[in-house]
Amino acid sequence: MVSFKKRKKNPAEIPTSSMADIAFLLLIFFLVSTNIDVDTGIGLTLPEWTEDKPIEIKMGADRLITLNINEFGDVLLNNEIFPVPRIRENLIEKIRSKIELPAEKKLVVSVKTDRKTNYNLYIQALDQVKAAYFQVREEYSLSKWGKKLVDIKDNSPEEKELREKIPITISIAEPEEVK
Amino acid sequence: MAFEKKRATSKQDIPTASLPDIIFMLLLFFMVSTTLKEFNVLVKFTLPEAEAIEKIENKRLVAYVWVGKGDKIQIDDSIIELKEIGEIMYAKRQSIPNVIVSFRVDKDSKMGVVTDIQQELRKVHCRRINYSARFKS
Repeated sequence: MVSFKKRKKNPAEIPTSSMADIAFLLLIFFLVSTNIDVDTGIGLTLPEWTEDKPIEIKMGADRLITLNINEFGDVLLNNEIFPVPRIRENLIEKIRSKIELPAEKKLVVSVKTDRKTNYNLYIQALDQVKAAYFQVREEYSLSKWGKKLVDIKDNSPEEKELREKIPITISIAEPEEVK
Repeated sequence: MAFEKKRATSKQDIPTASLPDIIFMLLLFFMVSTTLKEFNVLVKFTLPEAEAIEKIENKRLVAYVWVGKGDKIQIDDSIIELKEIGEIMYAKRQSIPNVIVSFRVDKDSKMGVVTDIQQELRKVHCRRINYSARFKS
């Protein structure tokens, strides 16, 4: 007679040790595949709003640089037509000469646009101004601390000194009343 | 007196069954903590290119304003009129006091609309702005 042997009970186990690796792979896949796009752009602070007419402040011609961009695509630096890619080098000299001057004698760049000015042109001009400031800051920090601008942390004493010595003062001119 | 080494009689396995759960928790934590807010952009625009650009490190501070072709203005998920901007931005500044307004303006737009938006922003004291631009390579 055939004997029916009762099978020995094997504990049925799924190997779970590799599960962690699978989950890790998933984690890494998601970390790599999500592209977090960083916002980049040209930062600016608008002037404060005043109800009444803004007070006119007389500034010496050696301090003030006016950048007018009109509707025909002409860029006027100090009322002379100036090619956009050369604004940077023109400004660098002026910023550099004012590093050691007190705060009330630093350069002010006043940007004025027309209602029909092309936005891209405005950005290009503004970019040149910013680039000039950044280049002078870079030179200053390299010569003083041997550090590049990107290595200087926010709110560090170095950054404060940079702000004090080479402040970026870009003034957005009050738009004219529409006639 | 002989010293006998004590040996544990129990198994010496570390239970690994809960490891995947821990890793999944990590995964979930990262998925939750990264802000991936996508907007439904309703306007057509191409960003201008620039060299001297900065990164906005803290994305939570940013409020976006889109200006697309045909001077359409979009904030959040809807196209709005110029005179509504002040109200919306005032509310935004209430929740985020040092809000940065990021301008995503089509490069073929005219400055008129940008100036108008800026004037509205100045009225509600949202003065930190950023002209969004791509890096010129």
